[in-house]
Amino acid sequence: MNLLDTVLRCLATLVVFLTFPLVIGQTEHKVMAHMQGRLGPMYAGGFHGWAQLVADGVKFAQKEDIVPAGADRRIFQLAPAVSLLPYLFVLLAIPVGPNGFVGQAVDAGLFFVLAVMGVGVIGKLMAGWASANKFSLLGGLRTAAQLMSYELPMVLAAASVAMAAGTLSLPGIVDSWQWYWLPWQIIGAFVFFTAGLAELQRPPFDMPVADSEIIFGAYTEYTGLRFALFLLSEYVGILVVSALTAVLFLGGWHGPMSDQLGWLWMILKTFALAFVVIWLRVTYPRLREDQLMRFAWAVLIPLALVQLALTGIIKVAIS
Amino acid sequence: MSPAATLLAATGSLEPAARSFLSPTGQEIVFLLVGIAVLGSAVVAVTTKQLVHAALWLIVALGGLAVEFLLLTAEFIAWVQVLIYLGSVVVLVLFGLMLTKAPIGRSPDADSKNRWVALAVALASAGTLVTLVVDAFRTSWIDLGAGGGSAAVTGASLFRNWVLPFEALSVLLLAALVGAIVLSRGDKRRVPAPRAGKLRAGRPVGSNGTVAATAPRTAPEAAGSAAGSSDAPSAGSSDAPSAPAASEES
Amino acid sequence: MSFPGAGLAKGLAVTLRTMTKKTVTAQYPDVQPVLPPRSRGVIALLEENCTVCMLCARECPDWCIYIDSHKETLPAAEPNARARTRNVLDRFAIDFSLCMYCGICIEVCPFDALFWSPEFEYAETDILELTHEREKLREWMWTVPAPPALDPAAEEPKEIATARKAADKLAAAAAAALEEKGDDA
Repeated sequence: MNLLDTVLRCLATLVVFLTFPLVIGQTEHKVMAHMQGRLGPMYAGGFHGWAQLVADGVKFAQKEDIVPAGADRRIFQLAPAVSLLPYLFVLLAIPVGPNGFVGQAVDAGLFFVLAVMGVGVIGKLMAGWASANKFSLLGGLRTAAQLMSYELPMVLAAASVAMAAGTLSLPGIVDSWQWYWLPWQIIGAFVFFTAGLAELQRPPFDMPVADSEIIFGAYTEYTGLRFALFLLSEYVGILVVSALTAVLFLGGWHGPMSDQLGWLWMILKTFALAFVVIWLRVTYPRLREDQLMRFAWAVLIPLALVQLALTGIIKVAIS
Repeated sequence: MSPAATLLAATGSLEPAARSFLSPTGQEIVFLLVGIAVLGSAVVAVTTKQLVHAALWLIVALGGLAVEFLLLTAEFIAWVQVLIYLGSVVVLVLFGLMLTKAPIGRSPDADSKNRWVALAVALASAGTLVTLVVDAFRTSWIDLGAGGGSAAVTGASLFRNWVLPFEALSVLLLAALVGAIVLSRGDKRRVPAPRAGKLRAGRPVGSNGTVAATAPRTAPEAAGSAAGSSDAPSAGSSDAPSAPAASEES
Repeated sequence: MSFPGAGLAKGLAVTLRTMTKKTVTAQYPDVQPVLPPRSRGVIALLEENCTVCMLCARECPDWCIYIDSHKETLPAAEPNARARTRNVLDRFAIDFSLCMYCGICIEVCPFDALFWSPEFEYAETDILELTHEREKLREWMWTVPAPPALDPAAEEPKEIATARKAADKLAAAAAAALEEKGDDA
């Protein structure tokens, strides 16, 4: 672990952090369009609008950076960074391939990932409060309520996997993954993925940014690059949640020829899950706020507890 | 770098071999610096007059504590600190502040009159804790080997040596959980006397529009009154199933 | 088909199926739309047919047709005959910022001088430039499609019916003459 190695790993993570969300965003453009019988972007970059998000980025960079007069300036400007950076650290800890193909192996990696992801939401709360706008405040409130309700089932579902693997380290969990974990942890996978969606505020759990009633929630007052950073954080979030679900429940790099092609399997699984995220967005209407809360407390948490009990029973029976 | 730390660093080279408090390693210097930052942000958190800023400074203080745990190789505890305190407790605090519409800028009523009492209590408890720790450990040296605070070690220690306190704590938490559920469910038989009766007294049944417009009530009840069902019990029973939902939202 | 979540699965199936189907997006500036034959794009003028009867301008509900003309006297063709006069069209303009595309002018034109053209790309940056003069209206005449074919079971058009009746009569007469000749022989 010399310095060069560390720098290279950080650089690779940064590249993934900057490119993969764009790929997911472009996929969302195209997949959503085709699911609605449209074509989506076709011009930017020539071939099927591949450079649409680059053009969007250029456009965002040209926009004026406005801070509302009544806003809490410092916090308003700090919020996008607080919202975005935790995902970068999470990416660092996600294992891609076998034999140490990971940014930085963290011993309690699972806890690290969940903990740091929770910090990102503070950025959204800061944005919601500091904008001095009632819609932003409402968005922030809903964000906070949603986060607190969905964090619990997410952690419980992740705990079930940790119990099954007997370790909190993400590479360790993938190492001890067996094919029969798929049916065994299927409830946990559902709970984790759904709660992850809710934590990202992706449709159908996008009540905090419901544009038809509170404009754009906490991001209402943002313009230009700061707004782009919030959007980027959403797409990095998709990447992170998909990758985590793949690592915890779909066996990460496991697959044929996993010694050579492990990274490819991991990326394939991640993008398949990202596709599901987009698919769900296109298909389902937004849940109402009370439905959202009821779903978390009355469906997901009991399911997560059932999964936890099931994992415990089978684990004891096996050993 | 603070004067104290530079002093420590300068004097540290005099006795490199001896394990004394005057020969800090790089890790110890960082520990000290982060400690100062934590102390500073904690002081700002309690003295600032802007409510939300106080909560945000609390984030800095608690995050700094997590870094301190990391420096002590207590990795697991550090991430739990982030997950519980940053991810949940501070979010809860921010949620409360937002619900009460904490203003942007200074809050004139942020200063409590008994701040000197609070300061005295804080100093007293800090003094007690510091004396306790210093007296308990004296000059004993704990080797901070890598992995000394990993999840495996923490778990083994927790479930071998400290099972009873752990279980007692979990029973306490369970009691709190049950209490919360009981409180939020309320008493089914004690259906609240509908406010509808008061508001609707003396109004003719036919004046739907005025009833719906003046009665500040929830939508289903307003719809019920608009439909002309003016008997109070039915309004009360329509209130009952919505009560748990309302409590869930809060 | 009534297990819990069947509706959710059905929704997912619908979006997935739509994704595999061909999209309905019209790539307009790159691909011109296929318009139905009776599209009301713009009004074209065949000024050779116009007799300046002013019916169109008078029937126009929002008076967007401007016609100027003068009379011209033709010298008498024969001695003792009267000199004829005829109308000469000086200006024929339609203000397409007023036109509401009702097509009444085309309906009332007794001499088939006005037609619907499917041409629709004549946006201007200034509203005054939407008043198009007769040169432009004549140019649009080239974009008027041939009238759509009649239904197979439709009645014959009048012109063809009369022409055919005359031809039939001629043919019958010729046949009769031939027969007579044959009888003679």
